[in-house]
Amino acid sequence: MQSKWDIGEPEKPTINSETEQLKSDLLTLNMGPQHPATHGVLRLEIWTDSEIVAHAIPHLGYLHRCMEKHAENLDYRGVIPFVDRLDYLAAMNMEWTYVAAVEKMLGTEVPRRAELIRILVAELNRIASHMMAFGTYAIDLGAFTPFLYAFDEREKILRLFEEVSGARLLYNYIWIGGVWNDWTDEQLERVANFCDVMEEEIKKYNELVSMNKIFIERTANVGVVSIEDCFAYGATGPILRGSGMKWDLRKNMPYGLYSEFDFDIPVGSSEVAGQAGDCWNRYMVRMNEVNESVKIIRQVIQKMEPGPVMGKVSKIIKLPKGEVYVRHECPRGELGVHLISDGGKTPYRLKVKSPCFTHVSMLPHIAPGQMIADLVATVGSIDIVLGEVDR
Amino acid sequence: MLNVDFNKLAELINQNVSGANATVNTTEDAKTDSSISVEASKIFSVVEFLKTNKEMPFNALQAVSGVDYVEWMEVCYIMAHFDLTTPRELILKVKVTDRVSPAVDSVVSLYPAANFQERECYDMFGIKFNNHPDPRRILCPDDWEGFPLRKDYVAQKVYNGMEVFPDHKMNYDDREFIVRQDMIKKAQTQAAN
Repeated sequence: MQSKWDIGEPEKPTINSETEQLKSDLLTLNMGPQHPATHGVLRLEIWTDSEIVAHAIPHLGYLHRCMEKHAENLDYRGVIPFVDRLDYLAAMNMEWTYVAAVEKMLGTEVPRRAELIRILVAELNRIASHMMAFGTYAIDLGAFTPFLYAFDEREKILRLFEEVSGARLLYNYIWIGGVWNDWTDEQLERVANFCDVMEEEIKKYNELVSMNKIFIERTANVGVVSIEDCFAYGATGPILRGSGMKWDLRKNMPYGLYSEFDFDIPVGSSEVAGQAGDCWNRYMVRMNEVNESVKIIRQVIQKMEPGPVMGKVSKIIKLPKGEVYVRHECPRGELGVHLISDGGKTPYRLKVKSPCFTHVSMLPHIAPGQMIADLVATVGSIDIVLGEVDR
Repeated sequence: MLNVDFNKLAELINQNVSGANATVNTTEDAKTDSSISVEASKIFSVVEFLKTNKEMPFNALQAVSGVDYVEWMEVCYIMAHFDLTTPRELILKVKVTDRVSPAVDSVVSLYPAANFQERECYDMFGIKFNNHPDPRRILCPDDWEGFPLRKDYVAQKVYNGMEVFPDHKMNYDDREFIVRQDMIKKAQTQAAN
């Protein structure tokens, strides 16, 4: 393979011709599978020309469990814990997407309180996931303290989830027909208090990190992805919004009760720093999304009304013959579930379209020409979770 | 499926791509989605038409996935149009009847998104994509045998000197394996006939 990266004529060998010869060749480096900047077991094979990346080749599959095959041998309720383990940082969003696909085929009516609770847990989990993204991104760029701040807030959300679902990370909470457990008024009040704290915290994070001159120097105008590239590679979520497209499934193709809620879609632009589509704008979209999520959660608590949290679903679920494709806006992009049923008790085929898998496929396109340190910033700003990439 | 008039789209495909033979798989049930089937040999021209046409364009390819129906295999191209006024979705299907060396044309030159998706489809179903720039496995190791999502898949006994599914660790009474054995038996009898 020849390098596309042209650095002009190499210097003439002077002292040791063999060493000089070596310098002109591309050096292969392995970033990962265990590397702090890859956020999991991703291996990036990087061909470098001194400090500059000529090629980046992702090697996937270190966390491959073939959950799609497992799903074919489980009943529809049994698949939910497996779906949890896709994006383990936003398990509520994963569950909701799969459950929505089954419910669409089944034609189940979900009680209003259950729908509201679903939005509540999905948005809380979005905040928790973005806090994780924020903390680890700061670590990637050499700042350790923000990670501790972010985990403090994330911990509050996980405590609440632990109380209602019994688990801190993999919840199995959203069930077909509704949700497993109800929230008490006391818990909802704590969520309302958390909203106030979170808004103040976000202001603090913005002062501490987002508007920090060093941080902006490291991330602005780095790893730029144009809107055309986003469409070509099928990128969604914060990547697409960071490039300047005002697209959010919750607004543009509303599901659940999202059409009743009032919130904005943050997009990247060149107004404050950098340009649309660079690392800083992608990062900033996430930070602004936390504020929007807080807005939605406040409205959920206002709208909350007493009622059942579980609809009527028969004991043995059999779906009609056919197929359905459902996509939801998850913290990392659009998760798509393509569910095919042959009328039996188990899914005939379950295809999960993972946003992170799509975003990793962009790396060979973005990386060439960057410094290695900038590649770390780019990978961090894309915010991948390997459980979802490898499934 | 949103904002797509399937009959009109099938008509458009038939008018503009000769031999595409587009048919609509309608469902009477409103709960399930309709899709469009086209000839496997014309998939490149059909996707090219869907990307470039003015009436109903699709600007993104979301996923390429396979389905094993034992008698035949299917490749589903899930396409979407990201547009603030008229977002669209479409499931496009091609049928592959050859189980021994199934192959369809790659669409990577139209949508770079297809690169990893087609590699995954090859990895899981063994469907080859002609003119693919990097036709390797992606999730399984390069020297893995068999294609896991085929219905008649049986995992290899030994991989690199390691026993796969060692007997003392398996619970064959588990429901999961009963179902799987049924599936394998069904696929094998189908293949024998």
